Formats: sequence, C-alpha cells, structure tokens
Amino acid sequence: MEAIFFAVVNRGKANAVLHKAQEYGARGGTIFLGEGTVHSRLLEQIGLDESHKEILMIPASRQLCRKLHDMVCREFMFTKRNRGIAFTIPFRRRTLQESGVKPESPAGGAAPAYSCIITIVDKERGKDCLKAAWAAGARGGTLVHGRGAGVPTEFYYPLVIEPQKDIIIIIAPREKAAPIKERIASELELEKPGKGILFILPVLQTSGLFENEPGDQGGVAS
Amino acid sequence: MSLLAEKAKDVTRTLLPVVILVLLLCLTIVDVEAGVFIRFLVGSAMLLVGLSIFLWGVELAMNPIGEHMSREIATSRTPLKIALLGFLLGFLITVAEPDLLVLGYQIEAASGGALSASVIVYMVSIGVGVLVSLGIFRLLGDMPFNRFMLITYVIIFILSAFVSEEFMAISFDASGATTGALTTPFVLAISLGLANIKGGRHTEENAFGLVGIMSAGPILAVMLLSVLTEQKNIASVEIDVGVAEGVLGPILDALPSIFVESIVALLPITLLFFIFNFTRFKISRDELSRIIKGLLLILAGLVLFLTATASGFMDMGRIMGMELAGMSRWLLIGIGFLMGLIVVLVEPAVHVLGQQIEEVTSGHIPLNLIRITLSIGVGLAIALSMVRIVIPEVKLWYFIIPGFALALVLSFVSEPIFVGIAFDAGGVASGPMTATFVLAFAQGAATVIETADVMIDGFGVIAMVAMAPVFSLMVLGTLFRHARVEFPSRKEKEAPSLPPEEELQHNCIMVIVNRGFAESVVDAARLAGATGATIIRGRGTQEDHKVVLPIIHVELQPEREIVLLITGAHLSEQIADNLLADPLLVREGEMAVFMVPTEALVKIPEQDAPPGGASSGT
Repeated sequence: MEAIFFAVVNRGKANAVLHKAQEYGARGGTIFLGEGTVHSRLLEQIGLDESHKEILMIPASRQLCRKLHDMVCREFMFTKRNRGIAFTIPFRRRTLQESGVKPESPAGGAAPAYSCIITIVDKERGKDCLKAAWAAGARGGTLVHGRGAGVPTEFYYPLVIEPQKDIIIIIAPREKAAPIKERIASELELEKPGKGILFILPVLQTSGLFENEPGDQGGVAS
Repeated sequence: MSLLAEKAKDVTRTLLPVVILVLLLCLTIVDVEAGVFIRFLVGSAMLLVGLSIFLWGVELAMNPIGEHMSREIATSRTPLKIALLGFLLGFLITVAEPDLLVLGYQIEAASGGALSASVIVYMVSIGVGVLVSLGIFRLLGDMPFNRFMLITYVIIFILSAFVSEEFMAISFDASGATTGALTTPFVLAISLGLANIKGGRHTEENAFGLVGIMSAGPILAVMLLSVLTEQKNIASVEIDVGVAEGVLGPILDALPSIFVESIVALLPITLLFFIFNFTRFKISRDELSRIIKGLLLILAGLVLFLTATASGFMDMGRIMGMELAGMSRWLLIGIGFLMGLIVVLVEPAVHVLGQQIEEVTSGHIPLNLIRITLSIGVGLAIALSMVRIVIPEVKLWYFIIPGFALALVLSFVSEPIFVGIAFDAGGVASGPMTATFVLAFAQGAATVIETADVMIDGFGVIAMVAMAPVFSLMVLGTLFRHARVEFPSRKEKEAPSLPPEEELQHNCIMVIVNRGFAESVVDAARLAGATGATIIRGRGTQEDHKVVLPIIHVELQPEREIVLLITGAHLSEQIADNLLADPLLVREGEMAVFMVPTEALVKIPEQDAPPGGASSGT
C-alpha cells in the first residue's frame, strides 16, 4: 500500500464507489461522514450553504490509485461539476516488519500540483476556518466532525469529556497552500497553544476539481 | 445537493406512496366528494413543503440547542442540578404539547368531569419530567438501558392489573400524545448531546433511548391517577365525526389555531435556550443567527405540516374508513395494513430519528432496513387494530402486554444499540400523521361497525402504533446480533512499499481500528510520546472478511474509528512500533497504521496536552 485514494461524494453514494473500486482490485475501504460547503454569500445568508457528504478512503498501490481516478471519472462522471471529487495522498502503510526502514525517494516525477490542508479546531470554529481559507483563495472545503482524545473532569459524574472537534479538509493548488495556511493560522490564532492545529499533506493526483470558473459547489473544491 | 433539496427529496419519496394509495382507492372503490379530494391533494403539497422546511429547521436549530443544553446538564457539579434541569426540560416540553391538551379534554368528558383536563396535563408532564430526569441519571451513571426499561415496564404491568381496559388504552395513548412532532426531535438531540459528552465505548448506544424512557412517563402517570382516584370506568362520549366541506375553507379555518398551538409548543424550548444562552452559553453571533433561523423554519414548517394533516388528511382518512368498513371487513384490515406500512414513514420524527441513526453509526446500520422494519411493525399494528374494531372480543391487552413483554426479553439478547432505537421508535412512530390520518381512519370504521366504540377503539390505535415498532425493531436487533454470517474472502499479498520522504519535521499518522479501540490507540500512542489525537467515526470493510445478514442479504459494514495523530518525525516511528506491538489492537481491533510526512503548524500548550487536536513537541 503506497497511497490512500480519497473520494468525496454525496451521501449514500460512497458504497457504490467502493463496490466499483473493489471490481478494479481494491481490497476495502473506510467511509466517514462530512458536510460539503458552498462558497456563496447568498446561499449562506439563507442557510443553504451545507450539504451532506461521504468521504471514502481506499488504501491502494499508486498504480491502482491511478486506475481508480480513471474509474471515478468514467463511471461516476467526476469530469462533470458537482459529481464529487477524488484525490490521492501518499500515505504509506506501516507494518512491524519495516520498522525503522528509512523511506525512500519522494513522490516521484513532477512535484504534485495540489496540497491537502487539514485544520483541526474546536467545534463551531470550523466555519470561521473555512471563511479564512476562502478569503485566501480556497474554493470549498469539507467539514468532518470528530472528537479529541479525552480529558478527565471532576463534575458530579466523573466524565471523560471528549471535546467535539471540526476537521476541515481543503484541497488547494500548491502555490495557494502557503497563503491559505497563513490566513487560517492568523485568523484562528493557531499560534496560541490549544487553539487548534493545521497540517499540509502532499496530493499526488486529483479528479473532479474545477479551478477556473466560479460558483462550483463540490464538497472540496479548490 | 443542498440540505433543503435533500430533505425535500426524502420527504417526496416517503409521501408519494401515501398519495398513490389514496388516489388509487378514490379512483376505484371509495367514493369521495370532489372538495375533500382536492383538499387532500392541496394538503399533500403543503405537507411536502412544510415537512421539508421543518426537518431543515430541526437540523439547523434543534441539534445545537440540544447539544448546549445537554452540556449544561452533564457538567453539573451536584446531582440536584441534574435532577432539576432534567425534570424542567421534560415538564416544560410536555405541558405545552397541544395533543396532550386535546387528550385531556377527551378524558375529562369521558370521565364525566371527575378528572379535569388540567389535572391530566400536569400529571402527565410531571411523569415525563421525572422519567427524563431518571433517564439522564441512567445515561450518566452507566446503568444498562435494558435493565432500566425492564424495571419501568414491570411497574407498568403491575399497575395495569389495577386499571380498567379503557384506562389502559388511554394511558398508552397519552404516551403517544406526548411524543409529538417537536418534543421527539428535541429529546433525541438532548440524548445525542449527552452521549457525545459522556463519550466512551457506549456513545452510540447512549445516543438513543431517552425518547423511549420519556414515553413511559405518561403511562405511569395516567395509571397512577386511575389507581389513586379509583376512577375506573369511562363513559363513551360522542366524538364529532362530521366531514368539513369545501377546499380552502377548512384549511383557512384550521390555520390560526394551529399557528397559536405551534408557537405555544415551541415557546418553552426557545425560552429555556435563550435564558441559558444569556446566562451561561453565550454562543457566537453566527451560531445564534443560525439557531434563530432554524427556529423560524421549524415554526413555519410545523404550521404548514399540521394544517395539512388536520385539514387535508383527516377527512380523507375518515371517509375511507367509513366506506371500507361498509364494504368488507377483510378489505378494511388489508387496507389498514397498507396504510400503516406507508404512513409511518411520513412522520416527521421518523425522519429525524433516521438522520440521527445515520449520523451516529456513520451509516453502519442501513437506514432503509430500519424503515422497512418500522413499516412492517406499524402495518401490523393498524391491521390488528382493525381486527379489534371488527371483532369486539379481541382486547387491547392481548397485544400490548405480550408485545412489550417479548420486546423486553429480546432486549437482553439483541444488539445493544437496537434496544435504544427500538424503544425510541415507539414514541417516534406515533406522531401527528398517526394522530390525524390513521386515527380518523379507525374512527371512521368504528362509526360504521355497530359493535365498535368510536372513542375506546380509537384510543387503542395509538397504543398499538406505539408498541409495534418496539417489538419489530427488537426482533431486527436480535437478528443483527445472532444471525450474521461471515464470508472469508481472499487475502491479497501486500506489495512492497516505496514510500516517499521529504525533509519535513512532522508525520501524520492515521490509524484505522474497529469501534471502541480508539481510546486504546490514543493511550498506546501517548506512552510513546504523543500528546493528543483526534478521532473520527466511520465505517468500513475489514480486509479479510465480510459480514452479510441472511435472508435479506444486506452487507454490514463494521464500524471503524479513524485516529489522526500529528507527531514529530523523530517520535513517529516509535509510536507506530508501539501501536503495532499491541497484539490486542492488531488482532481484535484489526488495526491499520498509515503514515505520511507533513508540514505542520503545531503549538504545544505550557503544561498539559491540548484537550483536542493532536500535537507533540518538536
């Protein structure tokens, strides 16, 4: 396993994509739920700025990832707008055998054109993060709800409070990644401890992204 | 696809079968005058718009309110505050429920004034308050849900030996009346919020069940009232079964009173939230405006929806019941079954519960499977109610007591998350559609059949609708746990990896494990030097086998958890080794560890780990 293939699709469609991918040789996948966002002031005003998404992750070899990109473009029309987007991130599978093995050459070939910016902040601040990213030129984003690892408390019931977190996934062209990062970091005060974290992952290949025209409504757009 | 379009699509899909069934009947055997027929069509359109807007508003406003309120409850420092807040919530939302007041007047009339409507309303509200409060203690104190329900229902069974059949029907009906269109989504949201705050391995099970606990409150309250006042017999009163004429007239007549009722029903939740927001939460302006928007949408949607059911569907149901009962008894039972099958899916709370099941289990429990099971349960409930109307010897308790008793037994062998969902479904299924359309159908049938009593048989219908889904979903949960078949599939040889590396300071580690193991992953990672982590719920196929439910061939995707850790590059190897060295995580957790170098912006707080986001020293 040399990479993970990600696909963001409308809710209910992830299973279909996964089954198709299995026909192409994928072994399995993990699905989680998220919310897509549209970058439109009007829609935001009337509250229409959200849609339900599913995010599918399939661990696969680089070669299979390329095949899967072809597959989603052909079978699920990712070449058209709003059908979903897909991207590959070079996660490497760790097993005990290769403990300590020094990883080799970088992504290989040309430098990737896109970056995946992931920000993790307290719930309720996810929207602010997206706004900051849009102001810096990002074009969409997917919101995922998660929880932080627990912190014990001393209320009447000794709860282990698991703070709710928003995870924001933004795919942006590589040259835009730095300004977006700066903007998010300054507007959400990420330089202060405990305010949240941000990290950038390299992206090998994308499908379904539309760079030039405005008004696209995909889950993650750039 | 936007949220509103999504809701509208979902509502259309559930409403269409109802419209088609009614159209088919009207065009073939049932003779309906044009006014009622057109009013039904207008009502269907209103219902479509109203319910879509309502569900949209619930998602915008109700879930955040529930979350804030439940945090306030859970972070109490004394048990007294938990008890008081829980009671207050339960009491206030119930006392404002319009359906309950209607029921109160019916009982007042039926008991010849011995029990006044306000006594009934307050008694039932106190019952709900006490049970919501107990339910919150149960959740926070980790008492098993099935044991709690067993105790509650044993008390109900004992009490039911002392009350007459009429009172038993009324008490179960009161339970249906309190779980209205507004209270159910609100209590579901509270339940979800509490479960999320409590966290831990039982988060998913805990997200359900509070509605089920709450619906036991009115049953206990009314039965106690009957025992204490020694009020046993209920006189039958005439119920107005007239059919309104015209198209627009009845709709406009119904609108003002429903508008007032809706505002009254929405008021306690809104006030309570604003008082607490003012003194405690102090949420951001953006979120507040979102919640206010949501509340307005809920109000608009509710008014449209309730007007549609009251003016468009009630008369149609009554006429159909009367005509079919006059034709053939078998036809009545058959059509009753069909109606139950499809009408329940239009209930607003059923949509809300479905949404919550999807969110909480990340799609692990197929939503359609829940809906089909719910449909079959309610279909049978209506069919059996028709049998009861046709054959007076068949008593209500023939079904209610064994139904609940069996469900309680099954709750100990069923998949735990289904126990909560099943008891919730009882309250969820008996909403405004049942109270208008189905009830009118039953009452219509009862007016034609001489041996039937319009009032008493009418009461029983809602009790049946509240019982049947509990039973049918519990059966499904048992199947889910015991009848699954595992298919081994081939295990592929892993290709040797050629991983990339850049001169980066951090690594992103993504660990995918089975549900419940995320905490162990975090603990193991902490031992190796990580400080925090973020956990996402997901579902996925395991790598070497798949699980399929027999007969219906639904593939079950096991629930998984995704743990994200950002660590310094020098620590990540150690953390990965530490995780992979844990045999429990690898074997039971079916763990997969992925790593990628990343450019990260991470700050460590002065003393302790940040409460959430992953971080580590560099």
